[in-house]
Amino acid sequence: MTPTAQALLLAQRALVQFPRNPILLGFSVMPVLMMYLVFGGLFAGVAELPGFPTDNYFEYLAPTAILLATVPGIGNAGVALAADFETGYFHKLLTTPTSVAAVMLGRLLGDCLRLVVQAVLVLLLAIALGADVATGVPGALLMIVMGTLLGIVTFGALTANLAIRTRDAAAVQAIQPMAFLLIFLTSAYQSTDHIDSAVLRTIIDLNPAEHVLRPMRELMLSGYDWGDIGIGFLVIAALGVLMLPITARNYRSAYS
Amino acid sequence: MTNSSLRPSAASSPLDELVGMARTHRIATGRRAGDAVVLDNLAKTYPDGTEAVRGISFHVAAGESFGILGPNGAGKSTTIGMLGTLVRPTGGQASVAGFDVVAEAIDVRRRIGFAMQQTGVDEFATPAELMVLQGRLHGLGRREARGRAELLLQAMGLEGEAGRRIAKLSGGTRRRIDLAASLMHLPPVLFLDEPTEGLDPRSRGALWDTLDRLRGQLGVTLVLTTHYMDEGDRLCDRIAIIDRGTVVAEGAPAALKASVGGNASLEDVYLHYTGRTFEDTRRAA
Repeated sequence: MTPTAQALLLAQRALVQFPRNPILLGFSVMPVLMMYLVFGGLFAGVAELPGFPTDNYFEYLAPTAILLATVPGIGNAGVALAADFETGYFHKLLTTPTSVAAVMLGRLLGDCLRLVVQAVLVLLLAIALGADVATGVPGALLMIVMGTLLGIVTFGALTANLAIRTRDAAAVQAIQPMAFLLIFLTSAYQSTDHIDSAVLRTIIDLNPAEHVLRPMRELMLSGYDWGDIGIGFLVIAALGVLMLPITARNYRSAYS
Repeated sequence: MTNSSLRPSAASSPLDELVGMARTHRIATGRRAGDAVVLDNLAKTYPDGTEAVRGISFHVAAGESFGILGPNGAGKSTTIGMLGTLVRPTGGQASVAGFDVVAEAIDVRRRIGFAMQQTGVDEFATPAELMVLQGRLHGLGRREARGRAELLLQAMGLEGEAGRRIAKLSGGTRRRIDLAASLMHLPPVLFLDEPTEGLDPRSRGALWDTLDRLRGQLGVTLVLTTHYMDEGDRLCDRIAIIDRGTVVAEGAPAALKASVGGNASLEDVYLHYTGRTFEDTRRAA
């Protein structure tokens, strides 16, 4: 059996688990939708600023909400891996001809499918609140793909590695607020043109998440900017390449 | 493969069906007949400097039941972990079914079942799902894996639990499910790390009977660790008594006891070879 087939089988296992853990499902979907509604309502007036790219703040906020669903949400993969360590199931899997990579990838893939559903829910709520996706269904799908990939290469990889290193679900869970920092230090709630602080603008420019969020927002508000989309995918690829040696190094620590 | 080869027939017991499958479908035992497990000066020192295993050597013949006996902290789990490819040795060599446990770890995994001290089960799954996944990861087709899971659950007396969530099952039942999952690919070699740890006497007896039947009828080579002397006596053809990471005595239980004298027990054997009682060592650990 190929590692890909093994990863798909393990992804299927993750998908079977979700409906059996309604607390996980509820607490990963509801906060995102609530934040979207609360922040969207709270900052609705921002859309009235001159030069703001849209007059519907929910439209502006939708790509942010997708990232809020996908980036912290993928952290569950790391928590679940750590839980498998705690129950001994991770090592049980390693007594089969399955690689650590397949176990990690399977978990991430399973969680990705859950996140895609959550991201779709966010977009449906946005549409219900009067938002419009300028690029239609293909653009919406591209947004979800970019958001999910960013989640995998940043927080997904980070929590999966942390799970292997610590084997402690609580420790993995403890770093989840970091994901919000990654998203909040972008133009998530306000366009950079309307941010006075030069320091903050520089931090935002240096944040890789900003270079993924920007094309996502363009897909939502204006159309396809293939240059920005290309940069977004390059950033994702670069982060993936960066995480590879770290992950490969941690593979070894899965064995004593 | 026909459907009849996947499902138990009314005429034969689940174990008979599994024996038939083992004859026709089991993966080749290994590169050579004879020794199923060979350890040659195998050692493990952990990064913190702990010398868990200090150069252990023994061999286990195919079809034999071999016990690694010793108190907690003696190095038993580390030794069996190295044989099961979960722990990397820092010295010496070991092979299982003729394959090196480090260089040919995947080949080893294809030929072993491993039930660990900490029961390795997915609490969100049902026993049937867990076993089918285990079988599929070993390369079985979906239908074949389902059929085999059904037979193994029956053989273990677990057919009534097949569809229940594992989280709701008792520790003893989980242990039997773990064992059943370890047998999904009908491995020629089975490693059991403290198989009856935490079980009540009745469950221990039931598990011993199951292991006897599996070994007798499926011809599985059994390597187990235990700190229960009676378990070693009951289940093993030969045992190695391990103390502070080294083998202090090895042989058939009866022969080891005879070497110490008259009505000696395995505890007496341990005292004879280490100068300490088993209980003292257990307390010190």
